[in-house]
Amino acid sequence: MADTKLFINGEWVAAQSGETFATFAPSTGEKIADVAKAGREDAQKAVEAARRAFDDGPWAKMSGKERAERLRKVGELINARSAEIAEIEARDGGGTIKKAMFADVPGAVGTFNTFADLAESSPDEVDRGESPFPPAKSTVRYEPFGVCSGIVPWNFPFLMAGWKIAPAIAAGNTVVLKPASFTSLSAIEMVKAVEEADIPPGVVNLVTGPGGSAGEELAQHPLVDKVAFTGSTEVGRRIMQLASGTVKKVTLELGGKSANIVCDDADLDLAAAGVLWGTFFHNGQVCESGTRALVHRAIYDEFVGLLVERAAKIVIGDNMDMNTDQGPLVAPSQVDTTERYVKLGLDEGAKLLCGGSKPTDLAAGLDPSAYYLPTIFEADNSMKIAQEEIFGPVLCVIPFDSDDEAIKIANDSIYGLGGGVWSKNVERAHTIAASMRTGTVWVNDYHMITPTQPFGGYKQSGIGRELGDYGFNEYRQIKHVWQNTATDRSGYLHFSALSGNI
Amino acid sequence: MKVTGTEAAARAVERARRDRTGALVFTIGTGCCESTAPFLYEDFWPGPDAEAVGEVGGVAVYAPEYLRALYPGDDGVVIDVIDDVAESMSIETEYGRRFVLRDAAGQPVVGPARQSCEVPEAVSALRSRGPQELPAALRRARMR
Repeated sequence: MADTKLFINGEWVAAQSGETFATFAPSTGEKIADVAKAGREDAQKAVEAARRAFDDGPWAKMSGKERAERLRKVGELINARSAEIAEIEARDGGGTIKKAMFADVPGAVGTFNTFADLAESSPDEVDRGESPFPPAKSTVRYEPFGVCSGIVPWNFPFLMAGWKIAPAIAAGNTVVLKPASFTSLSAIEMVKAVEEADIPPGVVNLVTGPGGSAGEELAQHPLVDKVAFTGSTEVGRRIMQLASGTVKKVTLELGGKSANIVCDDADLDLAAAGVLWGTFFHNGQVCESGTRALVHRAIYDEFVGLLVERAAKIVIGDNMDMNTDQGPLVAPSQVDTTERYVKLGLDEGAKLLCGGSKPTDLAAGLDPSAYYLPTIFEADNSMKIAQEEIFGPVLCVIPFDSDDEAIKIANDSIYGLGGGVWSKNVERAHTIAASMRTGTVWVNDYHMITPTQPFGGYKQSGIGRELGDYGFNEYRQIKHVWQNTATDRSGYLHFSALSGNI
Repeated sequence: MKVTGTEAAARAVERARRDRTGALVFTIGTGCCESTAPFLYEDFWPGPDAEAVGEVGGVAVYAPEYLRALYPGDDGVVIDVIDDVAESMSIETEYGRRFVLRDAAGQPVVGPARQSCEVPEAVSALRSRGPQELPAALRRARMR
């Protein structure tokens, strides 16, 4: 693949420094491309282009219907190249081709379509009724914020790019997107679709490069009005501090250590599959992964046996093969992190039930340093492996005796992003769900996120919501217009609080 | 919790100190893509419950209360630096480097060999799902 470029003000340009950085296929360690390394100056140029496009260009003034037509066009263009984009996505990030084809690419298309629908159907003005005295009429207007920067992680690079671009531009904002450095390539393909979809120059800009320079600039630049970030909690805190300099709107989707509660009346066959899916999908490199399985003691032994038996059947191998369930982690350094936690778990007395090492039977040509076996521990919730987010294929199984205890354990975390409840008693499941301090709870399911429904976190898992009308409104300012409807001066009696003479 | 740093980490801090004008601080935090990791920031407030737990290259390292509780005593957490891409806003990412945590010995940690998993008889009797193949109807599925 040729060297990639930045996309600023409708033009593909090299980084001002001329520097690039390499991106690799995690499964083989093979270099795929040299990516333009944006610095602070490139990020500034992109923000300035976005500012001009917002202040002087046609985008913010277009009707929702006009914007919607272009967003749908982006979706169509992505769909037309879906197989090619899925391959780029899987190859660059190490996720399976199955994930790219059935989650990443269609999920991004669905996101553009959903926000096209919202742009078209959401009124810009709402009549808020009349005030009796002084006689007045109130209207609320929904308006774009202005320039939004979006900073996204490497676990779902294409989908997350869609989550940041689509709602922002649907609402009339302009955007500067920074993909994660491990996975810059698919976002470039998304921006190519934007370019083809008759979206004016400067409305969507792309800078690829390090967070320490380009990312920092996108979070603090005075011309940026809103920052949307998905990634680690510590970086989220950094972004809030940088954004505070000019009091920007901030939305954050951060870490998690979500609990999957398996009640004694659950369909164990289904729940076992669900817990494994909730944990090991994409090697556990998913913010809302259900990495703590809380299992009722009455069914504990049987259920844990099921988990262990099934975990051994997860197919590990070449992520470009449709039959592979689990490919490499994003990089060998992520495997190092996973290994470190496995050792910490053993040191703390957690019981290793399966996994706990790199696979030894990978096909020739695959890089064994990037793979790790699905690992299951019997643990206590106070252990490091149960409290810290590992972002690797590690599940902690923790027994409980009552629903109240399960809820207490589930909530004993600094995070609150996802969670699951497995029970045949729907009322019981919903009662537990209502007590979980977390942004999403799946009942008898896991990981299902749809572009029409809100997603986000409680506690240190984030601020604000993405997706659906909730996510759309995070990109819209609210303006109250008060119109005094008095026909004579008696309707302005409040003026007398200042002086009777004005 | 007691944190120290390798000489390589101290040298990386020195480079950041030359390039930045503000006060440098390390913070250890958790979550999502970075897992628990050290971050080197300029002019950063570590937070209301953060306390200094060590220093690397003359820069104080802060950690929040819940992490200090998870790592009591001084059995050792070491900040090292590697040549790698990183996603955080930590200063060294600008240089194509990444601060990482190691155990006290500073050695790469090697996990145990895969253990055989004994499955209770009652479980073996339950039918498990075989190797998954996507149903034909799903192979062409598109969300919306």
